[in-house]
Amino acid sequence: MSETAELAVVGAGPAGLAAAALAAGFGLDVALIDEQPGPGGQIYRGIETSPHAPGTVLGEDYWYGARPVRAFRRSRVRYLPSTAAWSLDRERELGLLHAGQARTLAAKRVILATGAIERPIPIPGWSLPGVMTAGGAQILLKTAGMVPHSGTVLAGSGPLLWLLAWQIGRAGGKLDAILDTTPKSNWRRAWPHLPAFAVSPYALKGLRLRLAVGRRFRVVSGVVALAAEGQERIEAVRWQGADGSEGRLAVDTLLLHQGVVPETNLAMAAGVPHRWEETRLCFEPVLDAYGDTEVPGIAIAGDGGGILGAWAAEETGRLAAVAAIRALRPDAAEALRPVEARARRALAHVERGRAFLDALFRPAERFRIPEGETLACRCEEIAAGRVIEAASMATGPNQLKAYLRCGMGPCQGRMCGLTVTELMAKARGVSPAAVGHYRIRPPVKPLTVAELAGLPPDPVGEGAVNRD
Amino acid sequence: MGDCDVAVIGGGLVGGAVAFGLARLGRRVALLDEGDLAYRAARGNFALIWAQSKGLGLPEYGAWTARSAAAWPAFAAALHEVSGIDPGLHQPGGFHLLLGEGEYLRRGELLARLHNQPGMPEGGYRMVGREELAKLLPDIGPDVVGASYGPRDGQCNSLRLFRALHLALGRLGGAYLPAHGVQALRFRGGSFEIEASGRTIGAGQVVLAAGLGNAKLAPLVGLEAPVRPQRGQIVVTRRTARFLDHPTTTIRQTDEGGVMLGDSVEEAGFDNAVTLGPISAIARRAVRIFPRLGALPIARSWAALRVMSPDGFPIYQQSATCPGAFLATCHSGVTLAAAHALHLAPAIAAGRLPPELAVFGAERFHVSAAA
Repeated sequence: MSETAELAVVGAGPAGLAAAALAAGFGLDVALIDEQPGPGGQIYRGIETSPHAPGTVLGEDYWYGARPVRAFRRSRVRYLPSTAAWSLDRERELGLLHAGQARTLAAKRVILATGAIERPIPIPGWSLPGVMTAGGAQILLKTAGMVPHSGTVLAGSGPLLWLLAWQIGRAGGKLDAILDTTPKSNWRRAWPHLPAFAVSPYALKGLRLRLAVGRRFRVVSGVVALAAEGQERIEAVRWQGADGSEGRLAVDTLLLHQGVVPETNLAMAAGVPHRWEETRLCFEPVLDAYGDTEVPGIAIAGDGGGILGAWAAEETGRLAAVAAIRALRPDAAEALRPVEARARRALAHVERGRAFLDALFRPAERFRIPEGETLACRCEEIAAGRVIEAASMATGPNQLKAYLRCGMGPCQGRMCGLTVTELMAKARGVSPAAVGHYRIRPPVKPLTVAELAGLPPDPVGEGAVNRD
Repeated sequence: MGDCDVAVIGGGLVGGAVAFGLARLGRRVALLDEGDLAYRAARGNFALIWAQSKGLGLPEYGAWTARSAAAWPAFAAALHEVSGIDPGLHQPGGFHLLLGEGEYLRRGELLARLHNQPGMPEGGYRMVGREELAKLLPDIGPDVVGASYGPRDGQCNSLRLFRALHLALGRLGGAYLPAHGVQALRFRGGSFEIEASGRTIGAGQVVLAAGLGNAKLAPLVGLEAPVRPQRGQIVVTRRTARFLDHPTTTIRQTDEGGVMLGDSVEEAGFDNAVTLGPISAIARRAVRIFPRLGALPIARSWAALRVMSPDGFPIYQQSATCPGAFLATCHSGVTLAAAHALHLAPAIAAGRLPPELAVFGAERFHVSAAA
């Protein structure tokens, strides 16, 4: 028999924590599933166990995370840490894995709060050892207190780039340079949104951060092309400025970042429809005002529904919980009204300025769509040129997979999905919306054959396989 | 391109093989395919060329299958030459592995019944005991008591086969047309008009190879295709060191090193979602057969819809009312690819199906209804 819950929340970041705590407060039987050993998600990762003293290195926005974590700890949520959710179907049955043991959990409602992942950055040499994402470096900083010393360059664009640089500076680390790839032309598009941004909670913080980083590290702005060079591992980073100037630095670590996009794998595996978002250049799930998807009973909260940041995630988490509570406890409708009103007000407040950030940090094509020999799919080592060549014949990314094995390696297209869609769209001269995305199937997290075999047998499955 | 000699509707393995065969004969072929999310058995198959268990109740099917298995080397070579892509044929004979004495006895009885039918080709199988089997497949688990062996059985790389068919068609002057789902099909003045993707394509002949889509298309040209979807699920592991030199019905190691684990049979309508009950049952059976598989990470699972006729056998038919319209449908697009390219396509080009294919007409489904 499958384990059950009234509400299953996947992900213990700000959205998941807020959703779970609110729903449990209204008496729902809530299970909160999370891959990490402690609550906080990526943004507040390791907050209960951080090696840093509160208020220091990681900044007040990180330490703010202690509040939602405490609220969650006080709630009556069934917390399942160190548990991967590797499958979800339309009937809201989750496949879970904890300590090598697979099991299922069936829920009346599911809220996916699986957050964001970093956008792939397929520049020449991006698969060389020593090239990693800024997010990966930040995890090391948060959990192990590890900071880069000399020989490290940070390159890319987006709020996280500046936050990480600032945190590295505070922790006494060193960056040889920051190569800012934010296209100058983005300012034209961002300009109309500046007034709203100026009065947003991000403006002053962002400005301070940017100035502090500029005082501490060498910043090269207007970088239009990047390449990692090296034989066995990265030896140097080469770049080109908008004015045609060129630069090269010997490095042993290159940290790349071009913003984050929704982590959509579990939602896509469950058949939740997604659509292409041209401003943010990614696929986002189709959601109503509460985060409910078109699959009955499955909602999405937080950055997984569209990148809005940690504060907004708490509010979209609450709104998804409001809808779930109302569906399962109709009597609570009245009591939920002020809760919903508060969440909507708070959301409106923190959403201000988002359009400015979206426009300003929209990554340039050069860093999203590779060319020639540059790898599009690093697992199977498929060069961009081969994708372009096959793109005219393939019906779409799924057929391309069959043609080239692109997206069929260990990452199963989780890393190259966006790259391949955009590459095919460019090759055909159509919108990525017309190209579509890989079909995602379980398991969306690592699982062995023995672990899958360890699920309790059910008669339907046995009958379908042992036919004799 | 506006007009062609033959329009093949359906860009999967059946349509691809027929189109390749026709183009080799100099026909101008248009291969019409749907979009990226069509129900595609061609992208979900197990890549076996399999004869040992085919034909109970219709020995002509056993013979047709054996003929295709025998034609595969020539087909693979021709395809490789034209497309530049090796479809990875590997035909060392294959095993159906049996867990427990009950399975062993029942398999033996089934194959004896099948191969004793008049008209079945000689030497189609033999039963193999555990001792002999363990020499050939040293990694089998303690529950494996033996196997049936089919000397004609083999495997290929079906994804490369798929791409090679599309590429070869282009090299032979044909056109592969993705995103050309057929909106209308008409027989007018002795030839065919097809509306797809906002244009009209004229064709002297038309071959319906649209899998499940044939059910709707066939009546438009005086044919019938009573096919239904039957879901099958598979699990694929990441690459591992080579340990399996023969294909088996439910476990095979691809030429790239990954291990495919199958399979399931479910009546699930047009739902090609993966479900945990069957894929975990597949994993359980697989680790009983080869315990070493347990440690392998899973790369992916997959579910696809087989194209099943009421008796499970193919349907090949030419239209009596719309001369030049043909139907080809089966659930063994890999096994029969060679026969489709080298035997069926020339018959279509000549305008007439050969007598040995007469038993595969859809009239056979009327007999029992009338009786």
